Formats: sequence, C-alpha cells, structure tokens
Amino acid sequence: MMATMPIKRNDRSQAQRRVQIFLMYVLLAVVVLFSLYPPLMMLINSFKSNSEININPGGAPQHVTGANYQQIGAENSGVLIAGVIALFVGTLLTLVLTKYMFPRRNAIIAGLVSLIVLGVIPLTVASGGLLRNFLNTVIVATITTIFAVLFAALAGFAFAKYRFWGRNALFTLLLATIMVPTAITLPPQYLIFSQLNWIDTYQVQIIPFLTPVFGLFLIRQYMLTIPDSLIEAARIDGANDWLIFWRIIVPVASPVLAVFGIIQFLNMWNSYIWPQVMANDPSVAPLMLVLPNLRDPVIGFLPVWGTIMAGCVLATLPILILFLTNQDKFMSGLTVGATKE
Amino acid sequence: MAETSLVGSERTQQETTVAAPPTRRSILWSKMLTPYFFIAPFLLTFLAFTIGPDIYALVLSFYRYRGYGSATFVGWENYHAVLTYHVFWTELSNTLFYWLAHTLPLIVIAFGLAVLVRSKVLRGRSWFKPIIFVPNVIAVVAASLVFQNLFGTQYGVINTLFHLHIAWLEDPNVTRWVVVLLLIWRNLGFWFVVFLAGLTSINPDLEEAATVDGANAWQRLRYITIPLMRNIVFFAFIIDAITSMSLYTEPNVLTAGGSQAIPPVAPVLNLLIVNINNGVFGQSAAVGWLVFLVTVIVAAAVFGIFRLTGEVE
Repeated sequence: MMATMPIKRNDRSQAQRRVQIFLMYVLLAVVVLFSLYPPLMMLINSFKSNSEININPGGAPQHVTGANYQQIGAENSGVLIAGVIALFVGTLLTLVLTKYMFPRRNAIIAGLVSLIVLGVIPLTVASGGLLRNFLNTVIVATITTIFAVLFAALAGFAFAKYRFWGRNALFTLLLATIMVPTAITLPPQYLIFSQLNWIDTYQVQIIPFLTPVFGLFLIRQYMLTIPDSLIEAARIDGANDWLIFWRIIVPVASPVLAVFGIIQFLNMWNSYIWPQVMANDPSVAPLMLVLPNLRDPVIGFLPVWGTIMAGCVLATLPILILFLTNQDKFMSGLTVGATKE
Repeated sequence: MAETSLVGSERTQQETTVAAPPTRRSILWSKMLTPYFFIAPFLLTFLAFTIGPDIYALVLSFYRYRGYGSATFVGWENYHAVLTYHVFWTELSNTLFYWLAHTLPLIVIAFGLAVLVRSKVLRGRSWFKPIIFVPNVIAVVAASLVFQNLFGTQYGVINTLFHLHIAWLEDPNVTRWVVVLLLIWRNLGFWFVVFLAGLTSINPDLEEAATVDGANAWQRLRYITIPLMRNIVFFAFIIDAITSMSLYTEPNVLTAGGSQAIPPVAPVLNLLIVNINNGVFGQSAAVGWLVFLVTVIVAAAVFGIFRLTGEVE
C-alpha cells in the first residue's frame, strides 16, 4: 500500500483536486435530486385535494388531507385495513417463500392457502374501488411468481444435472425464443382465450407468464455450479430424485430462486399491455390499468390528480418496502444476469 | 421378503433371479424418464402458451380473420397492408427514435456515475447506490403518471414552478423528448448498479499497478476499466435495444393516460393493439412479426458495431 502512495503533491494540484472532488459531489447531488424529485412530488401531491393540485401543483400542501387515501379504500374502511394486511402478507409471503421456507416441502401449499384466506376474503368483502384492483395485482403477481419459480427450478435442475436425449437441442431452442417479443402472442392468444372464455379472468393474466426462459437460464446456470458429489452422496444415502430436488437442490439454489422470484414479481407488478387487452374488466383488472383512467365523476375528462397520486403511492409502496428491506438481494438480484454473462 | 420366504424359500429364490433383469430395466426406464418429468411442467406450459401461439401468430399473419366466421388465406397481403400504411412507419420510427435517443446517454451516464461512485475519494458511497436505484422500483405506470403531472401544460409542476408555458405533452416534437427523459430516469439506476457490480469484479491490483507506473485517472479509465467492462457494456446495449423495441407503457401512459397515444408519439406496438381492437387479427399478427424482425436487425446492428471496434465474447 505504501508503495502506491503518490509523491507529495504541490499546493496547486491539491487545490485543483479539492475543486474536482467538490464538482463530483455537486454532480452526484444533481443526480440524487433528479432521481428522488418525482417520487417525492408523488408523495406530496397525494396529500393535496384534487382542486388544490391545480392551483398549487409544485409546492407543499396548504391543507394536508387524507381524502385521497380514503377514496382508494372505497366507502368501506374495513376494506382498507384488510387491503393493507393483504398488501403486507402478499409481498412478504413471496419473499419468505423464496428465501427461507423453500427447503420445507409444504411451503408452497401453506403459502397458497394463506394467500387465498388473506387475499380472497378481503376481495369478496371489497365493494370495489382501487383497492380491489390493488388486490388483483397482488394475487396475480404472487401466484405467478410462486409457480414460475417452481417450474423454472424443476426444469433448470433437469437441464443442469441430467443427461437426456434432446437436452442441448431443446435448451438452445428455448434460448432462441428470448428475442421474440411477448406482444407477438397477443393476437392469437386473444383468439384462443376468447374461445376458452378466459377473457377477463385471473388465469389469463397468470398462465401465459409461468415460463420465462430468462429465469430458466438464470437458474440452470446457477445449478451447473452445484457439485455432482452432493447429489451422488444423497443418492447413496437412498434419496430418490424428487427428494434430492427438494432437500438438496432447492436449499442450495435458494439465492438464485429468490433473485428470479424478485424479477418475476416486479415484471408481473408492472404488466400493462397484456391486461389492457385481456383483462379490462374492473373486477379482475390490475391497479396499473385503472390508475391512468381515474377521471372526475362530474366533469368527466379531468384527471383527479390527488387520487391518482395516492394510487401511485399504493402501487409503489409494496415494491419500495421490498426494496428497502432487501437492498442487496434486490440490486445484486436484478443485475445478476448482467455480471454472470 | 421375510414373509414370502416363509411360504416357500425355493420359489422366492427362483423369482428373485428371474425378476432381477426386468427390475433393473424398469429402474433404467424410470431413470431415463426422470428428467422429462422435471421439465414437463415448464415445457408443456411453454409449448401451449408461448411456442404454440407464436406459430399460430405466424399462420394468422397470412390469413384474413376477424375473430369469427372463416379465415381466408391472403398470402403476403397483411404484410403488404401494414408496410404500405404510413402510420406503421411513423410509429416504427418513433420506437427507433425512443431507443436511439435514450440508449447512448443512459448507458454513458450510468457508466460515468458508476466510475464516479467507485472512486475512493468520495464519502457516503454506500448511500448513493440505493438512492439512484429508487426510480427503478417505482411502478412504470406510476412513474409515467407522475411525469404527466410534472409536465402538464396548464397545471403541471414544472411550468408552474418556472412560470413557463411550454406544451410539453401537446407538441409531439417536445413530447418525444419527455418520453426519452422518462426512459433515462427510470433505467439509470438499473444500469448504474450493473456497472457498479462489474467494476467491483475488476481486480484492484491492476489499477494499483497502473498508478505505480504513472498512469493518471483518465488513462486508467481509458486503458484498464473500459476494456475490462466491454462485455458488460455490450450486454447493456443489447438488452436495452431488445426491450426498447417492445416499448409500450411509458409513451402511452405519459401522453394519453389510459387511452392510446396519438400516432406522432406512439410506439409501433400501438398498431398491434389497435388492430386487435379493430378485429383485424391477421394484420395485428403481421405487425408482431415485423417487430420481431426489427428487433433481430437492431440487435444484429448493435452486435456489428461492437464487432467493428474489437472482439465480443
């Protein structure tokens, strides 16, 4: 370390260096402001009344009001509380499942049962409003994530640890489809699902998204690094393939499963084009679809910005909580594909 | 085994010797089938809901079909109709514009920030990473709506704060740049974190050695960091290009809320959706396959540019 210390600089370059560092801080401050200003305005404006936003869009609220949040919870405040509970349970469940509980065999069943109890019951109580759509988003994103992780883990295991006829050809074929835009399947899927009477249902939002090839690739790459000796040892101890998968592979691969779970959950949370075509009905539509259409009930075309901003806060909060409590997993997770290349 | 041997030891012995080969064979069979069981859930779902519809879309793009009645084979007519429709070209050029205008500043700024935050002279580096990443965890629709509120003409935050009267979201020439700004804003944190992870994987001894040899900061960046980050930067450009071709949510929600953006600012996928809404499924499928074609060309172009300036792994 000592050897790398530069030769003592003269005063002029010292001053120059200080200016440089100062400029770096200024630059970073600008970026931080640029990053945080929009979400900050979102939060501030969600506490202004719809009429105040038009007069005072940029400043601090003159009359802080929670009316926008009441608006979200429909007429029923009980629904609001139930929704908040479902919010936390839904997001935490996904996290816990992928992170801690996966080694246990019944984790998925337990998760699904609790999700139905905690998610569907408030849903049936809900009279409507944005909260209903929020719950739709939670339900669709959670169920999709659980099954997508399971399917990709099973398939990834086979592709990484078995030799079988057609393996490489199949895997190459799957990878080749990565460049095909998802939207390409919209017209045929619309026709198929119309025939099946699946338009405006949950399953139409869930089933086509259970098989992201990217996730399979990610998981398979990770499972390649699991030593074969681990599997052989379990086999000698009498474990069958199914047991090996649940007791050895899943626990060892849990970091990458969690990573893929987060990616999948985020993608589902943000899905917009698909439900716009397939699930327009307010009873099953996700929050993202309803949010941009909120208009003044009297004047009609005028957006109710206060309520919209409160809805945006609602749409952002679960992901933000997830992010703030799991920063490292989140950031390394989302970027794992890039650095593993 | 113990029970059967009580009945007749002679017979069981015979059975075991005879039964042994089939048992081994059945084990072999189940062994051969095991991997197929593991991939079955994924593969069957994928075939039914991705590959199947992909092929159906390809077939559909050669037919005239309105969703009911019979479908008639029309050859290349759908493609011809789409390719001669001026809105297709307007919207395709919009998509290409959104990609070209945001990708270079986005990746250059993200890279610069990563280098900046990694430099050892700054304090509080661990704070910048999550803060800059925050826009990426804001829901896309929410971010688009907030930008709509910020850039409103009459009641917008920016115009009110600075006493301006710029028609940010009414004048297509200005609106396009607001979309670009939104794209940069939302994705900056993501690539910043990717590059930061890449920079961390560079062996610090290399930079130290260069410092000892008298290389200044710029030289270290130019001759050590950038060459070592080449593959990650290439990856960033490719992924950004592919996802940009499927751009839909941001321009639509930002400019039109829940309805469809007008053609001067709409991305090419709007034509696909409009065709579904109009019940011309063949043309909609044709748009989809054309977008795929453009995606392949664009990805190949990015690859080609990187190839021109050196090797890519």
